[in-house]
Amino acid sequence: MTAAAAAPVRHRTPRATSALPFSAARLLRVELRRNTMPWILPLIAALFWFDSYRPSTGTSALYGLRTYWSMGQGHTIIDFGPFVAGVAAWMGSRDGRRGLADLVTATAQLATWAATAIWAVAAYLVFVSVMFAVYAHQGVGGTPPWWYVAVGATGVIAFSAFGFAIGAFWPSRFAAPVAAFGGFLAMYLSFQIGFHHTSGWALILPTNSSGNFDGSAQADSGIFYPWLPDLPIARIMFLAGIAVAALGVTGLPARAGGRRLRAAAAVLTLAGAALAGTAVGLASTAQESAYGVVIPTLHDAANDAPITYTPVCGRSAGVQVCLNPAYGRWLPDMTAALAPVLTEVAGLPGAPVRATQIAAAYPSGGDGPPQPIMFGGQPPVLRMQLGLLHMPGPCGFCVGPTTAQFADEMRLLFAHAFVGAGDSPGSPAQQAVQAALLQGAGVPFAAQPGVIAIAENFPGPTPQAATGPVYAAARRLATWPAAARHAWLAAHLAALRADRLTLEELP
Amino acid sequence: MTTTGLHRPAPGSVPPPAAGTRRYRAAAGWRLGRLYLVSRRVPMALALLAGLGALLWTALHWHWNIAGGPAARQFIPLTIETGAAAVIAVTTYGPFGEPERAAGRWLPWLRLGAAVALTAVAFGVLAAGAAAGGMPGGTLALLRNFGGLVGLGLLSAVVLGGPFAWTGPMAYLLVAEGALAHRSATPWVWPTRPPHDRGGAICACLVLVAGLVLITVRGPRESGRESGPAS
Repeated sequence: MTAAAAAPVRHRTPRATSALPFSAARLLRVELRRNTMPWILPLIAALFWFDSYRPSTGTSALYGLRTYWSMGQGHTIIDFGPFVAGVAAWMGSRDGRRGLADLVTATAQLATWAATAIWAVAAYLVFVSVMFAVYAHQGVGGTPPWWYVAVGATGVIAFSAFGFAIGAFWPSRFAAPVAAFGGFLAMYLSFQIGFHHTSGWALILPTNSSGNFDGSAQADSGIFYPWLPDLPIARIMFLAGIAVAALGVTGLPARAGGRRLRAAAAVLTLAGAALAGTAVGLASTAQESAYGVVIPTLHDAANDAPITYTPVCGRSAGVQVCLNPAYGRWLPDMTAALAPVLTEVAGLPGAPVRATQIAAAYPSGGDGPPQPIMFGGQPPVLRMQLGLLHMPGPCGFCVGPTTAQFADEMRLLFAHAFVGAGDSPGSPAQQAVQAALLQGAGVPFAAQPGVIAIAENFPGPTPQAATGPVYAAARRLATWPAAARHAWLAAHLAALRADRLTLEELP
Repeated sequence: MTTTGLHRPAPGSVPPPAAGTRRYRAAAGWRLGRLYLVSRRVPMALALLAGLGALLWTALHWHWNIAGGPAARQFIPLTIETGAAAVIAVTTYGPFGEPERAAGRWLPWLRLGAAVALTAVAFGVLAAGAAAGGMPGGTLALLRNFGGLVGLGLLSAVVLGGPFAWTGPMAYLLVAEGALAHRSATPWVWPTRPPHDRGGAICACLVLVAGLVLITVRGPRESGRESGPAS
């Protein structure tokens, strides 16, 4: 007998506290490997490319517009959500279909759901990251709406929990298509609600972009000011509440486990419902501010700080024209568009010494009265809200202006602001001078009604043709020699802007 | 003790028809068809289709259409048609696998019969739902759109297996929705075409015929892998 053999063998008792997480992690790993979700991801990737990425490439290279369809209208969620719900329902019904539901613990069920959700959320984040990386490579201006990405990821989790609950309660082959169909129907109905309710509780719906996302509000989120997180936070709360409630519901039946577990599931269900209800309540208090939707309870004043930037500048007819770097690609278009009108008014009182881009504010909307071009300050500065306009090139669902159309539109808006017409169509005298200035800047009278028709936010009715007393007066003024017209304008511009001139008083 | 007595029918029971007679074949055929339909959960599918018909009626009656023009008005009815096609596609899944395929001489005809019958019933139910009025494109567009979607579902069953055959029509719904929003007009996205358009009808018919032929000849894909899409 040796000493070694004589020594008592001491077995260390494994601690239950460390064993449980280990076995749970092992269970999760097994579920991740045996999950159905990866099989469906190629299909989702193809749909994501077709439905979310492809349409976005037809819009201007600004994040607010590029992501309007995919994030604002929630198409990334539509591409993922129903399919995730269907697969989660299939996974949730797995044990029931095999008649093993009574043998499977709640932890195992939770691991099955967690694995499904992990695959889905990871894929969502990867697909969105790839899309944003492509945008970055294309030089898209501004910053991505990261909060809306978080909404999408939470939406995917909510769909997985919703589908899983359907599968757990209804172990049938039809659980998956019914869950997916329910997902599609919910998304499309929330579209329908969103188009009709642009404020109040309906803002909580993740596919409601009306009036609250940069692309539909024609604003400058992520360019001049940050994307406000208030509404996305409320949506995350809403979707997380749905997810928690759906998971809690799966623990309510008697077969789910002991009394303790069922009580915990009931608490979880109620907590989820309360969270979702609170989010709806918060959304109903939302107000539209200049820089996005504000929910007073969630609002952090630090998010109101504007984004600092170094403008990109060029010169047009001797006048400095400065834009936000996100709009830098259109600087040559801007300087070329403004040059003829700046030449026309050079030396006149009120002629701008500088042109600078300012932020487009949310309440402006796509069809509100504010004018994209205004004069202000002393000496006068031309202030341009380019966020209200469709910039030259593709613009998604609209017919984008060509460079020539954009130039004519800029000249019209400039002349309209210069004669002091403001948010109204202007007096007949102001309209006549506006028309004469445009003629001098290379926009013929005959073409002007067409330019007015396509101009964004242009106030008043579009004239059918360049006829009538206004155009007759404009033609008279335009036939004057440039120097004489210039001298007349210098003498009468103050009266014209104060609306003290009639058509008869024009030369 | 012998098994001789086991051949004797129970007292008072109706004697089975003699083998080989027409009555015997009819009874056997009826039993085979009934068992096939039950194994494919057709009763539940019929209940779901009835629910979808009622949903279509409700959606049209209460104007659940999406704002944004004639194309947007198609979204909800098209979604419901897709749901019906997905239900039919999922019924192709058989739980018996290889033994059924090896022994089921009539299986291809049963698959064809079930698919055609369910499609006809579903169309009838949806047409009844569309009676609420305001169905975009009318019954003709419903027939074309739904027929094409069923074909896609059957093709998906052949490629992916019965349990995941719903993914085909659902994916097509997204494609059609994008095409409607972007005013694309390829005949392969037939819901974007007018009801009397020949190209759209031909494409939808081709897909339906292809789906019926393949589901009849090949049947739904079956896989031994649990996590795979055909499981």
